[in-house]
Amino acid sequence: MEGWDPTTKSTLTQIPLLTTKAGPRDGAAWTQRLKEEYKALIAYTSMNKSNDNDWFRISAANPEGTRWTGKCWYVHNLLKYEFDLQFDIPVTYPATAPELELPQLDGKTHKMYRGGKICLTVHFKPLWAKNCPRFGIAHALCLGLAPWLAAEIPILVDSGMIKHKDDAASSSEV
Amino acid sequence: MDEELLELQRQFEFAQQAKSSIRLSERNVVELVQKLQQLRIIDFDLLHTTSGKEYITPEQLRKEIVAEIKKLGRVSLIDLADITGVDLYHVEKQAEHIVSSDSTLMLTNGEIISNSYWDTVAEEINERLQESSQIVLAEIAAQLQVGSELLVSVLEPRLGTLVKGRLEGGQLYTPAYVARVNAMVRGAARGVFVPMNLSALWRSLQGLLQEIDGASGVAVEGSFFQSLFHGLVKDGEVLGSLRAGVHWTPSIFAMAQKECVDSFFSQNSYINYEGIHKLGIPQPVQFLQSRYPEGIPLVTLFAHPSIVDMLDASAEDAIERGSWMDSLSVLPASIGLQDASKVLSLCPSVQMAVKSNKAIILGESYVFSSGFIKNLFDHLEKEIETLNLPVFASSVTDSFHASKDPSVRHDTMTDSNETGTGKQAVDKGSKKKKGKFAGSTKMEAADIDADYQESAPTKSKKNQKKGKVATSSQVSDSKLGPKKEIDRMKEDSHSVVSEEWLIQKIMSQIPDLEEQGLDDTETILVPLASYLRPMLLNSLKERRKAAFTQNVQRMKQVLDNLQRKVDESFLNIQLYEKALDLFEDDPSTSVLLHKYLLRSTATSVVDNLLLDLDMHNKLKNGIEVEDPQKAESVSLSPGDRATIAKSFPGPLSVKALALVEALEAKRVETFMTALRAIAEESGLMLKKLDKKLERTLLHSYRKDLMSQISAETDPISLLPKVVSLLYVQIHGRALQAPGRAISIAVSRLKEKLDDPAFKVLVDYQAATVSLLALMSGATTNDEDCASDRILSKRELLENLMPALKGLVLGTSQP
Repeated sequence: MEGWDPTTKSTLTQIPLLTTKAGPRDGAAWTQRLKEEYKALIAYTSMNKSNDNDWFRISAANPEGTRWTGKCWYVHNLLKYEFDLQFDIPVTYPATAPELELPQLDGKTHKMYRGGKICLTVHFKPLWAKNCPRFGIAHALCLGLAPWLAAEIPILVDSGMIKHKDDAASSSEV
Repeated sequence: MDEELLELQRQFEFAQQAKSSIRLSERNVVELVQKLQQLRIIDFDLLHTTSGKEYITPEQLRKEIVAEIKKLGRVSLIDLADITGVDLYHVEKQAEHIVSSDSTLMLTNGEIISNSYWDTVAEEINERLQESSQIVLAEIAAQLQVGSELLVSVLEPRLGTLVKGRLEGGQLYTPAYVARVNAMVRGAARGVFVPMNLSALWRSLQGLLQEIDGASGVAVEGSFFQSLFHGLVKDGEVLGSLRAGVHWTPSIFAMAQKECVDSFFSQNSYINYEGIHKLGIPQPVQFLQSRYPEGIPLVTLFAHPSIVDMLDASAEDAIERGSWMDSLSVLPASIGLQDASKVLSLCPSVQMAVKSNKAIILGESYVFSSGFIKNLFDHLEKEIETLNLPVFASSVTDSFHASKDPSVRHDTMTDSNETGTGKQAVDKGSKKKKGKFAGSTKMEAADIDADYQESAPTKSKKNQKKGKVATSSQVSDSKLGPKKEIDRMKEDSHSVVSEEWLIQKIMSQIPDLEEQGLDDTETILVPLASYLRPMLLNSLKERRKAAFTQNVQRMKQVLDNLQRKVDESFLNIQLYEKALDLFEDDPSTSVLLHKYLLRSTATSVVDNLLLDLDMHNKLKNGIEVEDPQKAESVSLSPGDRATIAKSFPGPLSVKALALVEALEAKRVETFMTALRAIAEESGLMLKKLDKKLERTLLHSYRKDLMSQISAETDPISLLPKVVSLLYVQIHGRALQAPGRAISIAVSRLKEKLDDPAFKVLVDYQAATVSLLALMSGATTNDEDCASDRILSKRELLENLMPALKGLVLGTSQP
């Protein structure tokens, strides 16, 4: 589990683990799996809120729950930078981790695949594979997106690649 | 889509919509608080914990402290600081505040302790106390980790209420236990009948308690016993007196003691300190004096005045009767010498008598009345008088021994002197046995002649001196002599009247005293003797002095007498000596005549001289000589002469001996020189024969002879007288001739006489010779025949007598 900062690790361990190994094509099993996903997400979200560390909003974009959309944000220098977040549950889920996409930042950083899919650390994949099927969406967000945002947003902001929406508005206005 | 999933979706939505809690960083909070303080929104002291992560208000701290105290009732400040997480300084400050505001709390040794805590502790202690009946406070204090003083101060108000017990000497006891120990102490104290050191008693009680309690028993302090004991004494449960806190004297013992002393004292009128010591009274004198103020403290005992009265009465009696008394025999046997003398000194009658010289105390315990002493003194004086004469009578024979060897004599003399002085020293000093012994051993050597006959050698020496003085001054009695003599006499008498002798005499005088002194003569006889001795010596001296002065007169008389006698005889001898010259040519006759002269005239001279000198000598020494006239008729044997001669002092003795020897010899000349020498030595004057004196002497001699011849009737003794007269008439010399020399003397007259006269003489002589021969032969031969012849011869001689008488008288009576 090395490679992550202590806060991430402690948070991760507190997220309930999933038990059902089922993908979107597995029917009732998937439904079961989806229920577990929700439970994990609820726990993670409430945990974040209690720690004053709320940083995303997501919801299932289709009734099957294979596409999820929402927003994520990061506070840097007392400014809140907010980005769209979307991802699909792959057919091989849960063996394959969902590919998280930040479409607004596509092309703005090289730590990103085409289409705004974020590049995860080398440690993510083995950890995920090892914990299949116990890890779910919540774990993916916690282990993948949160560290990426914390690492990349300050660089992006400092390099001027992204601007605060107030600044962008004012500059566009100007 | 099942319901559950939808529900979960909704829940998730809801969870995401929920307000997130706001969190501030520590730094922010610290800054905020500081800001608040700056803004005076927080206007009180805000404390922070030692971890630095918490703020705490003093009130909160106080609350917490109080809460902690309430938990156990006792809390250490250090523990509080740990519990509250606040610095000790603040905790202390707040604790002080709390304690000062709450009277039930106390702060000691960094601990806050509430009253309730003590109450519980007291209850615990009480429980334990009831279990084990006694607890050592120190033990409790150690358990509670508080000082025992504090514990005592806390426990004291709770004693009797919460703690049912008694605190004594750092120990807690239950009343039952106290009662038990009290009973023990009472029992022990009541059981003690003799004075006792209480601490010893407590020790035994402790041992007893330990036995009872076994190993669990706590050692009971002696002071506990002591306080219980004091309580008992105060309540009068045990009777007695306590001295110096530990010496307990039960009253029963004190009573017995007093009764014992009382009874002994009232029965015997005295009591020994030793006995009182045995009764356990350490300071008998003070004790007795306080009890019997009228009593008399002595050295070893305490006496009632009645003892003094008793002794006084008997002493008075003895003094009045003119007797003596030994206070030891009157006083109880246990009274020693020292005390007896002290009691004696307290007797009023004795004091009076001693003051007025009516009595004398000797040997510490003996009282002698002066009358008794006088009596005894008189007796002894008489004894000495009787003693003196034998001493001096025997001195003649003794001096014979003494003068034999001068060195021996000298030895005895010095010996006697030494013994004399030695004895004096003994007298003066305390009558120590050693001194006395030494004296007596010396005495042994000198005893033989020292005590009784001692005077002889010293006398001879004295006379020798005296003689020298006399020769030098040519005075018969020198003035120097007496003085020296008295000194000497003193010495003599010292040795004569020895203490031993006195003691003997006193013992024989008073057999009672002998009984007293039998076991130890020192007790009374020695002091008595030493008291009497100087007196006796004095009287002796006086008497000697008197005798001496008396003797001087007689000595003079004796000497005058002697002088006269010697003069007379000496002249005669000289006269006769001259006649001897006529026979110088005939040695045999001369010897015969010399011998005769010496034997007849010279012998009487020598005897007179010796006897008178001896008497003189005695007189000079102060010895009574009863009748000097008697001596004249005495004729001495050669041995006697030698003895007397030897009795003379020094050179006189030598001269006298020479004289005696000359008397035995054959030459008159040697005798004459010896006689002259002794005369000179003894201070006599010898007159030389001069012509005038010779003539008168011859004349008187002739007259004497003539009257003798005319009166003579015996024919035999007539012849020598006639011959002598003839010699006087013819030669003018006085011839003293023995019978044997008569014939020669007659033949010598041949030329001087005319023939008929000579014939008459020769015939008469022949007849006398034949008569004498017959008389000598008559003893053996026929008596009748011899007597006839003698008678006829005698008749013949008697017929011749007138012729012979006529021959001499005729010529002399012209």
